[in-house]
Amino acid sequence: MTSAPPASRELDLTGVPCPLNWVRTRLALEAMLPGQELVVRLDSGEPRESVPRSAREEGHLVREDAEHVRIVRR
Amino acid sequence: MTLTDAELERYSRQLVMPEWSGAAQERLRSAGAMVIGAGALGCPAATYLAAAGIGRIGVVDDDDIELSNLHRQPLHLTPDVGGRKAENAMVKLGFLNPEVVVEPFPARLEDLNAEALLAGADVVVDCSDSFATRYLVNDTCCTLGIPLVEAGVLGLSGLVLSIRPGESACYRCAFPVEPPAGSVPSCREAGVLGAIGGVLGSLQALEAIKLVTGVGEPLCDRILQFEGATAAPTVIATRRRADCPACGDLVRPAPTAAAKPERV
Repeated sequence: MTSAPPASRELDLTGVPCPLNWVRTRLALEAMLPGQELVVRLDSGEPRESVPRSAREEGHLVREDAEHVRIVRR
Repeated sequence: MTLTDAELERYSRQLVMPEWSGAAQERLRSAGAMVIGAGALGCPAATYLAAAGIGRIGVVDDDDIELSNLHRQPLHLTPDVGGRKAENAMVKLGFLNPEVVVEPFPARLEDLNAEALLAGADVVVDCSDSFATRYLVNDTCCTLGIPLVEAGVLGLSGLVLSIRPGESACYRCAFPVEPPAGSVPSCREAGVLGAIGGVLGSLQALEAIKLVTGVGEPLCDRILQFEGATAAPTVIATRRRADCPACGDLVRPAPTAAAKPERV
């Protein structure tokens, strides 16, 4: 079985402080299937530093560009 | 059944724990606990269960609040002296977390009412102060198949044990001989330091949370004894007894039947 659903979700967490932004990210990932991608918008500064770090620590694949953090659910 | 914004904020510091999850939080919210006794163990146990977001708590206690209770029963404050413990616990737990439904039972748990009081609970937290009540709670939980957290404190020490009836040792398996009445001194006679109740009651809340969410490994078949004087914890292995009058006849499920946490 290699047909992981490619569907992705977007989550705008600008204005949401730490650690509530990671709580929401985590719950969104929990509701997704492995291989699905969550695209998150975050405030710069602490949110852009800590949410990707937390996601990596839990074993998800994380890619970042200027505007988004893309997390592939493990 | 999703978590509200207020719940996400209230529980955010546990929702970020790697061991926890939204599913664990929802399992906790859909669970009901019966807390037997609102004293030295029951106050911290009920406090942390309510704070963590358990769905329902029943508090069974028929005592009034006395000045001599306050050093170890932190839900009961000086202006509450003379009130009823079960009802005061409901009020204070409601202040702490209005999302939790708290029901007071100002009654003494006895042979005649034990099954009616405990039926329907997802977990029972025995914070009673007598061996007779403890054995009755254990036997009733075995009959009804309800997971149970037992504990006791005296002086500077205490112990705690989690029980999955039919799967792990019950209180009667671990302590088959009930001490004769009067052979073990009570809190009134031997005294107790309030903080020891806080340690063991908090552990009871932790165990109850583990039992209903599947997070972590409960203290089943293991008695944790804590000597406060030296801060020395000891874990003592225990096991089911085939001839146990409380749980010996219960069917042992297959070893794979234990609930496992769902990982994120």
